[in-house]
Amino acid sequence: MGLLSLLRRIRGTQAKELRILLLGLDNAGKTTLLKSLASEDISHITPTQGFNIKTVQSAGFHLNVWDIGGQRKIRPYWKNYFENTDILIYVIDSADRKRLEETGEELTELLEEEKLSGVPVMVFANKQDLVTAAPACDIAEGLNLHQIRDREWHIQACSAQTGEGVKHGIDWLIKACSKKK
Amino acid sequence: MPSRAEDIMKGFSLNWMNLRDADNGKVLWQSTDDLATPEAEHEARVPKKILKCRAVSRELNFSSKESMEKFRLEQKVLFKGKCLEDWYFEFGFVIPGSTNTWQSVIEAAPESQMMPASVLNGNVLIETRFFDGDLLVSTSKVRIFYV
Repeated sequence: MGLLSLLRRIRGTQAKELRILLLGLDNAGKTTLLKSLASEDISHITPTQGFNIKTVQSAGFHLNVWDIGGQRKIRPYWKNYFENTDILIYVIDSADRKRLEETGEELTELLEEEKLSGVPVMVFANKQDLVTAAPACDIAEGLNLHQIRDREWHIQACSAQTGEGVKHGIDWLIKACSKKK
Repeated sequence: MPSRAEDIMKGFSLNWMNLRDADNGKVLWQSTDDLATPEAEHEARVPKKILKCRAVSRELNFSSKESMEKFRLEQKVLFKGKCLEDWYFEFGFVIPGSTNTWQSVIEAAPESQMMPASVLNGNVLIETRFFDGDLLVSTSKVRIFYV
């Protein structure tokens, strides 16, 4: 698909610049998701010890995607990257059932952040290619997503590894940006 | 006692850079030598076919021991010293002890406007300057050869 084609689709909206923030626990698959969106090799991805930024420019329009490491020691720094976020993508390892509660707590905290208030949130229930993955509806329930009233939200089952479901998520994201402006 | 500026500069390192065909994500060139040596001009031998790509990505990876509050970079693509393209990017906060990547994707000029490899060869310089606020933290220069 490539990031430029994604950018061309978003450009139809009135925004001149779009900032997407990618968060989630460590090993959720944030960097893999970002690299697979850009059709890059995903076989040698290591834990992110800071941030990965992709910035795409076309015809005066900018798309900036910020992928911030999810390790416990890095999470306190997430707040430095909230400002001017247009869309929050929250990635979950659906097979990591032991940490479903922990990821839910982190998401709840994010949704309470003033700087992220009203920002549409897209939850990727990633790693659906693993047999032990929890279905997206179970995750939505575990995370109480249905209680969200103050913003648009969407949960999408996907596998960043195989690419399945990613496109559907992006379609939602593009719709959410065009509505927002 | 070293100043905060010295600590930041000493703790900063540019680890690697690469160039990709942005359509398929394939790496066309990846730095091998130690890019961190500032002031030195590095050479990149890039396959000519990069000029046929519809879009190219430039990616760089850096580490910082110190935290920075207003980190930004300026990247210029110079042809015989004349600026063809420039990027400004503001990162803001940099986590202490972090390793980070920045990748920019840009569409190529239409083929009719593209200079041939023989003209560009050795005359294109990518200059990247890293700042924390007004403090110049590091500079990197990479000269491009099309092979």
